[in-house]
Amino acid sequence: MSDQVGVKEAGADQQVEQPSPQSNIVELRNLHTYFFTDLGVARALNGVTYDIPREKVLGIVGESGCGKSVTALSIMNLIQPPGRIVKGEVMLHRRDADGATTDVRLTDLNRHSIQMRRIRGNEIAMIFQEPMTSLNPVYTIGDQISEAFMLHQGVDREEARRRSINILDRVGMPYADTVVDQYPHQLSGGMRQRAMIAMGLSCAPSLLIADEPTTALDVTTEAQILDVMRGLQSDIGMSIMFITHDLGVIAQMADEVVVMYLGRVAEQAPVDSIFYDPLHPYTRALLRSIPRVGRGTKERLKPIRGVVPNPYSNITGCPFHPRCDEFMADVCDVNVPGITMTDDGRAVRCFLYSDRVEKNG
Amino acid sequence: MISYIIRRLGYMLITLVFVTIVGFFIIELPPGSYLEFHIQSLRQQGGDVTPDQIQALERRYGLGDPVHIRFYKWISGFPRGDFGQSFQHQRPVGELIWSRLGYTLLISVATLIVSWGIAILVGVYSATHRYTIPDYLITVLQFIGLAIPNFLLALVLMIFLQQTFGMRVGVLFSREFRDAPFSIAKMIDLLSNIWVPIVILGVAGTAWTSRVMRANLLDVLNMQYVQTARAKGIHERKVIWKHAVRNALHPLVMTLGMALPGIISGEVVVSTVLNLPTSGPLFFQALIQQDMYLAGTFLVFFAVALLVGNLLADIMLAGLDPRIQYR
Repeated sequence: MSDQVGVKEAGADQQVEQPSPQSNIVELRNLHTYFFTDLGVARALNGVTYDIPREKVLGIVGESGCGKSVTALSIMNLIQPPGRIVKGEVMLHRRDADGATTDVRLTDLNRHSIQMRRIRGNEIAMIFQEPMTSLNPVYTIGDQISEAFMLHQGVDREEARRRSINILDRVGMPYADTVVDQYPHQLSGGMRQRAMIAMGLSCAPSLLIADEPTTALDVTTEAQILDVMRGLQSDIGMSIMFITHDLGVIAQMADEVVVMYLGRVAEQAPVDSIFYDPLHPYTRALLRSIPRVGRGTKERLKPIRGVVPNPYSNITGCPFHPRCDEFMADVCDVNVPGITMTDDGRAVRCFLYSDRVEKNG
Repeated sequence: MISYIIRRLGYMLITLVFVTIVGFFIIELPPGSYLEFHIQSLRQQGGDVTPDQIQALERRYGLGDPVHIRFYKWISGFPRGDFGQSFQHQRPVGELIWSRLGYTLLISVATLIVSWGIAILVGVYSATHRYTIPDYLITVLQFIGLAIPNFLLALVLMIFLQQTFGMRVGVLFSREFRDAPFSIAKMIDLLSNIWVPIVILGVAGTAWTSRVMRANLLDVLNMQYVQTARAKGIHERKVIWKHAVRNALHPLVMTLGMALPGIISGEVVVSTVLNLPTSGPLFFQALIQQDMYLAGTFLVFFAVALLVGNLLADIMLAGLDPRIQYR
């Protein structure tokens, strides 16, 4: 089977290829983020490798605890102790006004350094999943948005306030000039999430990381928020890394999809391929477990058997093998599969497609 | 907000009336009265007291009246600033307590400010340096500070200062300034003496408050909005002080109203040990000798301190957190 796929491996020790007219804004290579807790070492990320394409929406899916959010925080260099990025790299390909790109290795920067702080909120912004708790309750919406303007654009308080009202308007906040002086508790969940998005977009970042931005909202509000994000994405021309466990949202939003399982990428592919021709057994199992309109009512949903192993455990072989329907004895439980690139540019980590083994698994 | 404060002041007045009633009857409760205490001490001095003399004394002190009449007589003087007579000192209570209450208030408020200032700094430091050697060291000191009773600390510090530095502990002013008119030099002299009771009174409170501050801040640092602030690219120091500390202060300020009476009752013990001219020793004496108008008046003023402290805490809380609204 392996002869039908192109052979290219993106491992740890491989140098990142010279940036072409970079089609990717951020590249993750073999990222390992561990949390050193009293209970032991939680291996949240175990060699995550994927690319975030420029000016596109990349969806990240996976069950709870598979490392979606930790990946996002690792990109932002916001992993707090006792957590630490122990291995791997995050590359930012910065494009200047004249089209030239410079590369910044984010994993080399100290998380408190001025270089890192200039990137955060300015080039890479992030919005979080809980609009109820992600705004500071004791400062007005305007104060919190203005902060980013004053920090990254060096404008005074008055100008920052004007720009805050402006950006609130752009994300479709009703009565933006009133809301700017209101406190988070005076707003509804949808309005708070709009305020969060406004804050994230304030400095026109080239990458917006949205960590389950609509999970806590009702479907009507969710649809509105997704609309706003899609609209602004094409307006500003930024990339969005959209983390969710809702495959419906992925179908609606994403251009490309990364499926994560237990701190590793199972598969990266364009959105249509994920839904119509999933390669990895985990992706297939995920899709089978979604209820669909039109499916017979007598037919039972097929859940993925077993549970996600806890992150402290150290599974030998492919992390999905205990739950996999296509488990091959003496293959899957011995070695960690390496990344296989298919001819149409998809990446999958499974022995069904090649016998490539991950060296530093 | 204004109407809320006015209403609160009204409630405070009602509360005070109840405090005076309860306080008066509690002081009344133990058997005997100042008169019996007085007669006993006269007898001990060898003199005999005849029934005639006793009656004359009873009339003089107004002790023959029933309880509610005496209560009424006492409380009706309050609006005029008349708090009754001290039996023991043979002077109006008002004259005796003002300067002493003033010093008590000064020491208490200064203790509160100093201990909060230090506690917040220490709490923030140990929360942001959790599980490091300095944090462990601070934790040990905190438990020692909490565990030492303040009278013991007063004795130890008194002896230490006297023997090592030859410092006279137990005064607020040096001899040359005691009766001097107000001046800068007198203030400096006061500061050079008053830090001793402030340190003694503040140790336990500082230890406790910094412990609470550490726990609060650790909670707040896990909140999503702190991460949001970091994600904006704000400097970590500003993240802590602007976004986290203000939210962590909330539970502390709520306990502010309780902290003041705690310090005042601690002050009674410490000032008795150090023999300071504050209300503590006088209040203690008054309770032992059943000098009831004096003791009762102190109780009333301590209650006022508690009520005012609570009101101030509530007002501060509203200033700190926009979610709190008083109607």
